[in-house]
Amino acid sequence: MAYSSERSQDARRGFLDPRTKLTLVLVLAVFVMGGLGGEALRPVKTILSALPFALLLAERQWKRFARGILMLGIGYGLLTVMPFLPRALNYLALLCGGILTRFVVTVVMGEYLIATTSVSEFISAMEHLHVPQAITIPMSVMFRLFPTISAEWKSIRRAMRMRGIHLGGAKASQVLEYQLVPMMTSTVRIGEELSASALTRGLGGPTRRTNICRIGFRAQDAVLLAGCVFVVGVWTLELCGVRLW
Amino acid sequence: MKTDNKLKGRDLINIGIYGAIYFVILFAVAMLGMIPIFLPLLSVLVPILGGIPFMLFLTKVKKPGMIFIMAMIMGILMLLTGMGPWPLLTCAIAGLLAEICFKSGEYRSAKKAVLSYGLFSMWIFGNYLSLFTDYEGYFAQRADYGQAYIDAVQKLMPLWMAPVLLIACFVCGLLGGLLGRALLKKHFEKAGLA
Amino acid sequence: MVELKNVSFRYGMEESGNLHEASLDHVDLTVQDGEFVLLTGPSGCGKTTILRLINGLIPHFYPGVTKGSVTVNGRSVQERELYETALQVGSVFQNPRSQFYNVDTTGELAFGCENRGLPEKEIYARIDDTVRRFGIEKLMDRNIFRLSDGEKQKIACASVDVAGSEIILLDEPSANLDHTATLALREMIRLWRARGKTIIAAEHRIAYLWDLIDRAVILRDGKILKELSGEEKNALTDEELSVMGLRSVTPEAPDEINLPALKESDRTMVLRDFVLSYPGAKQPVLNLPELRLAVGEITAITGANGAGKTSFLNCLCGLEKRCRGTLEYEGKRYDRKARQKLCFMVMQDTGNQLFTESVLDEVLISLPKDMAGGKERAAELLKRLDLDGFPDRHPQSLSGGQKQRLALACALASGRKLLLLDEPTSGLDFAHMMETAELLKQLRDMGTTILVVTHDSELIRACCGRKLSFDAR
Repeated sequence: MAYSSERSQDARRGFLDPRTKLTLVLVLAVFVMGGLGGEALRPVKTILSALPFALLLAERQWKRFARGILMLGIGYGLLTVMPFLPRALNYLALLCGGILTRFVVTVVMGEYLIATTSVSEFISAMEHLHVPQAITIPMSVMFRLFPTISAEWKSIRRAMRMRGIHLGGAKASQVLEYQLVPMMTSTVRIGEELSASALTRGLGGPTRRTNICRIGFRAQDAVLLAGCVFVVGVWTLELCGVRLW
Repeated sequence: MKTDNKLKGRDLINIGIYGAIYFVILFAVAMLGMIPIFLPLLSVLVPILGGIPFMLFLTKVKKPGMIFIMAMIMGILMLLTGMGPWPLLTCAIAGLLAEICFKSGEYRSAKKAVLSYGLFSMWIFGNYLSLFTDYEGYFAQRADYGQAYIDAVQKLMPLWMAPVLLIACFVCGLLGGLLGRALLKKHFEKAGLA
Repeated sequence: MVELKNVSFRYGMEESGNLHEASLDHVDLTVQDGEFVLLTGPSGCGKTTILRLINGLIPHFYPGVTKGSVTVNGRSVQERELYETALQVGSVFQNPRSQFYNVDTTGELAFGCENRGLPEKEIYARIDDTVRRFGIEKLMDRNIFRLSDGEKQKIACASVDVAGSEIILLDEPSANLDHTATLALREMIRLWRARGKTIIAAEHRIAYLWDLIDRAVILRDGKILKELSGEEKNALTDEELSVMGLRSVTPEAPDEINLPALKESDRTMVLRDFVLSYPGAKQPVLNLPELRLAVGEITAITGANGAGKTSFLNCLCGLEKRCRGTLEYEGKRYDRKARQKLCFMVMQDTGNQLFTESVLDEVLISLPKDMAGGKERAAELLKRLDLDGFPDRHPQSLSGGQKQRLALACALASGRKLLLLDEPTSGLDFAHMMETAELLKQLRDMGTTILVVTHDSELIRACCGRKLSFDAR
């Protein structure tokens, strides 16, 4: 069968629309990490906290799932052993545990978003949300350059080893100079060439860009977005003094 | 060259290039911050190391808006990585202040560049804000850990830490700016990048 | 139609007073619709500058002072915005690694059309058409970072094709390509020719397209030296070309060059168990149970892009932890760590292996520690490599060829016995290629064993005595 870019774009479409994922990150950040809302929201928050883990499982991101669970486990572990520790350690465990249990869920949600969204999906979503080019262009350049930076970094470290420059006991300033400076130099050079090539292909014109990437809301998005509306609804009712349960 | 104040494709790509380097440095330091006791280090190391790409970035800034956009993108990325909506707010404020400061030096003054980076660095404070906001409320929810928990955390993360962290961001930003200037002179100008 | 009328150009900023030497000096050039023109000449002759004037990167991206007029289809390039010129002119650049805006291939093909706001349906149709004509189904929906350089360059050409530009500019597109990939590039150009596109190419390696072009414009020092077409072009000999600083017009695959891998009389070094595989990959990248190489000779290592040549150099240098091979050299066994002190590699990205703030310092840190008279020795090496004019220059501000010579100076300073080079002549013109060849021969005569990974047949002819082919095993 002949190649069809339309069909293959459809086949590559993610499970959730990036905008749904973005909404979930926000809701989790506000309610779970930010601690907004009182007693009535507690059961809701438990469900919300489980959501990123469920999503990671649904998309077979085993490693990230395991890492998230581990972090959460360490957090609750610290809080559990905390009362039995000597005084100084006690504080430390409490602090670490408290912060971990508070941040991990939202961070895992963010990881889910980043792991399961392609750059073009993300940019397409931003364009659908009418985010201006002044934001979308720099962000797409950034996503494009991250792998480049890591490759250049690796190549520089290799070159240092090959030339016998070891920084075991050397001063921090030298580490900075020898690694950061060439890394920045080559990233900027590559970035300039990237710029030139993008501009000759019409980037930055006044026409509204189109995007061949397929995004859009489906049933699973509707369910999760309805869930978010529900959370906000419960919170509003609570503010108005209505007792739900 | 035309002295057109509208941002063009090239300016936007420049924001992306330096933003990427800055974010990679931020991310590398944040890996340390995964161990919570190192969290305050974020307000020291990020401003200092980030000064290197940022000072180089400022040599490319000749029009209004570029610093502000850079700040807003950091805010969005923080939101994406699950640091909550507070950084967006601090980014907007810090970005705007940095923008005004650098503009007042006509996008040339080296002193204003360092000061501008100090102001810019204050956005990092937004990452801590969720620890301080709704202070009582958050700990009240954790009543299951008892009063001891609340007391302990309040001792370790007292409210006065908030302004200390904010000032640390600013001061280390100034130091980072000076470091960035030094490397600019020593390397990047000679290498033909600035 | 593309027209340059009496054009002169200097890079730099007029206001700050640091203008460079003239890159173009009163050039007149007209390219008719459907014509294929080759611009060639030694490095710095101005061929890339001409392309930049046509696609608008000059003056909109690279600042400088232009005199004269440049028009595309009668419209001035200087007065239009870049995105307007982009509607008619498409460009393919030299470096396959830096011309991609997207992370995936399909998005890259769509990029130009998306920027001008074409409807999605039409973009899909255009992509499918290009993919079919270029036969690149296998490259679709892939991560660009996982493609070989040859494959990346195919995607770059395809993306110009999807955009449907009538005028196509090629800026040394073959510099990083092996023989097979270069032939594939030639096929794409042929397809464009058949469709009546106007093509202007700047190249050092001119053999692969010599018979396709209508006209060759030979430049030197920013001036047009000669224009050749028809009979005149066909009658040109390699000798006449090398006088003008040009490379050969006869294509030759490295595999056609007949050199032994080893001779009876050679002293040899033995590599054992050089095996490298990445986790999850089905086949090892490298699988050499035993390999003998000549000591004190220059051995060329050839093979297709992605055949594992660069991985081989990394393993030999001891930079791959996963490779447990050993090397027996002059009666001694070297394990991975020990090889790091025996080998010096001049990498393809030479810029990434220079760390200090001046040319002199760069050589100084390579000298053995506590060596007496280090400064004198360093100065002597710089002189030998023709770098003595600027000991204080920042290494990153040097040209590609100079960076490479500096890396070689460091190699000499380190006193290491085994010198490895990864594509040292990609993008070099005839004269610089010959210079590199001469230098390698000098180093060989001083007793250094040299391995060169290359697909430059002319370099192999010029200096290599042994050849090892790394092909799909």
